[in-house]
Amino acid sequence: MYKLILKLAWKNSFLRRSRTLLVIIMIAVSMSMMLAIEGIYDGMVENMVDKNKRSDSGDISIFAKEYRINKDLAYMIKNADEIKAQIENMQGAQAVVLRVKAEGLLSTARKSSFASVVGIDLQEEERFGKFSEFLKEGSIDLQKQGAIVGIELAKTLKVGVGSKVVFSTQDIRGEINSIALYVRAIVQTTNISLDNSAIFIDINQLHKFLGTDSKNAMQIAIRGEDKELYGKLKIAFANLDVKSFLELQPMIKQMQDLMIIFNSVTLLIVMGVVFIGIFGVMYVSILDRVREFGIMISVGMHYKYITIQIFLESIVIGVLGYLSGALLGAVLLTYLEHYGIDLSAFSDALATWGYEAVIYATIKTSYFTTTLGAIMAASIFSVIIPLRKIKKLNPIEVIKAEK
Amino acid sequence: MFKLALKNILFYKGRSIATAVLTFVSTMLFILYISLQDGSHNSMLENSLKIYTGAIEIYRKDYRDIGGNEYLIQDVKVITDKLEKIDAIEEYSPRYETYGLLSNKEYSAASMVAGIEPNKERVLSSLKSALIEGSFLDDGSANCIYMGAELLKKLKLGIGDEVAFIGSASDGSFAADMLRVCGVFKTGSFEFDSSTSFVARSYFDELMNAKNRASYITLKLKNIEDADKVNEQIISMLDDENLESLTWKTLMKSMVEIMEIDSVFGYISLSLFMVVIFFVIMIYGFVNVSSRIKEFGVLRCIGLSKRNIFLLLFYEIALLSIFATLLATPIAAYICYYYNINPIVIDGIADMYKDYGIVSDEITFDYNLFTIGWNVGVIYLLNFLSILYPYMYINSFRPIEATRHV
Repeated sequence: MYKLILKLAWKNSFLRRSRTLLVIIMIAVSMSMMLAIEGIYDGMVENMVDKNKRSDSGDISIFAKEYRINKDLAYMIKNADEIKAQIENMQGAQAVVLRVKAEGLLSTARKSSFASVVGIDLQEEERFGKFSEFLKEGSIDLQKQGAIVGIELAKTLKVGVGSKVVFSTQDIRGEINSIALYVRAIVQTTNISLDNSAIFIDINQLHKFLGTDSKNAMQIAIRGEDKELYGKLKIAFANLDVKSFLELQPMIKQMQDLMIIFNSVTLLIVMGVVFIGIFGVMYVSILDRVREFGIMISVGMHYKYITIQIFLESIVIGVLGYLSGALLGAVLLTYLEHYGIDLSAFSDALATWGYEAVIYATIKTSYFTTTLGAIMAASIFSVIIPLRKIKKLNPIEVIKAEK
Repeated sequence: MFKLALKNILFYKGRSIATAVLTFVSTMLFILYISLQDGSHNSMLENSLKIYTGAIEIYRKDYRDIGGNEYLIQDVKVITDKLEKIDAIEEYSPRYETYGLLSNKEYSAASMVAGIEPNKERVLSSLKSALIEGSFLDDGSANCIYMGAELLKKLKLGIGDEVAFIGSASDGSFAADMLRVCGVFKTGSFEFDSSTSFVARSYFDELMNAKNRASYITLKLKNIEDADKVNEQIISMLDDENLESLTWKTLMKSMVEIMEIDSVFGYISLSLFMVVIFFVIMIYGFVNVSSRIKEFGVLRCIGLSKRNIFLLLFYEIALLSIFATLLATPIAAYICYYYNINPIVIDGIADMYKDYGIVSDEITFDYNLFTIGWNVGVIYLLNFLSILYPYMYINSFRPIEATRHV
């Protein structure tokens, strides 16, 4: 019996081929567009999260208690090297780096700008966040007073690889001190604060310049996605300020939340309209065939089987629409994941705002599963009202009615 | 045809209601979405322009690209004398900007220090209205410094405190002096408030040896819409290839570009809704005509042309669209107007997005009748496009064949 119903449902789905095709195209086009948009938006945010973690805060960062309020040399983490060694031995910690930072004035012979000097260990930064991948120009080298400059800062000062710059700031004793540096590379981290104002130099050189103890640091950044690690660090270093990535980057947290809201609202609106589309077609399709249903009931077919048949018809259309949409969406997403959207014409503006010139999409299984659920729900709900109409029909009157 | 179309609309109630509701929803969505998008962009631009950037700024060529003292404007008076003759300029003022180190006993910070004409800046920028503590500068202020709130916090200073300034003068010599904090401003732009301070030009000219020199001359226009026209006038009046006059569109190029990109993404998102709504309207139209094939066959048999059939479908969709948009447009326009005057306030949004130059917690809608007009036009166009396939479908039947259609 069920085999027959399935056969009937399949054939009836294509009774009015143009209508069915239009609904399938509607689902396919809207679904593929929705998947591509979701993928691109998520890709933008994920890229930002990844670059921010790799270039700066890691998954967790530790500071001295007062440092984030008063970015002063007085608020350094004492014996940071020992703490780093302890964290490296903790389960879940994948990479740990120490950083020293100071704010001051960066000058060339012609221009000056405020800047933040960041003392780093290049080898450790490479392990921590593949620092060399941020390279835009030059070579990653901090030997002999070498410095690496953020792309926007380089634009502001009009410096290139080989330029000489002077960084001036107050050292630990309160004296104004200056250091001449040679630009070896320009990097784009897409972390706005670093790209706009950071100049990276060797951590030991910065300690020497500032007169600070080489065992101390301003920041201990940790890579490690183990959820328990954060809790363990909080307990182990209660006298320090332990912050997770999202605590340090509330804007990114808000962006992620906004993306979830945007994607949910988009899904709701699109599926709502898709529901109206399927409903219209199913409603007319059922009303067109009331005589047929009347005959089926008269010859003894139970209403239950008619219900199943109509549900199956709607599901067939939904599934075909979904499969076409999933295929088209997967092709679009794969293209956007590999080639992205090239906005090089606006690269300067995008760099200023912390975005890369080519925006790549991300692909998540959840895009396809949630859409499948939504389309199935829209297909099933769309036949409830037409079914109620059929239930109220009197088979004899329907058969007698003029064709 | 018109009467027939009206009767059909009333007869096929389901299709008419669905089309009208979908048109209503898409019109509302389109107008409000574009209004919100344009409103936020305008507000960002306006805030940035209001704070410090002029509608037009005049530079010596290469100052912006290369920089340095040799690219300062050397004879400001010659230029300002010419600017006096342009009626469309409300106010102008030369500014001298330099970067230096500000230090007290314990703390130091780099800052852009600008020499300004305080009385003119009251009209040119929002520096005076951004005052939160102390007093704004006046033309005779001596070593008074007017400092951004975040910079003041960084240096742990208060009103009346002294701070040392170290920089380089316009002739390349070393320039240093003790300044006294007279006023504090907060514009809301985090970057600006944490890196900028001002002194009176009369004092700064002496310290920097910058008399009659300027980094650039900033202008405020009576009507910012005239920026391009006035700029052309200035260029021809200056008639100096060593000078360049730039409008805010060039000065704020990165912001304008990022807004263009944001608009493109906005339109892409919106197009998703429009496409799906377009399909549904087309499907309803198609379902409707496919159940009326017999009727169309009869109409053709009694002498109606293909053009008449097209007109019939056109009138039907036009009437439904007019009804829906006449209802949606005033409502959407009123919402835009209301939130244009009373912006939505989301506390903390400016702080959260301070790195992106957001200076206000207010989300403003744009109220522009031209924009609303073209938004409605697009909806009409989509609705008219939606009848093309159903029309082609009807025409695929010969009249006699259509009369026998089941």
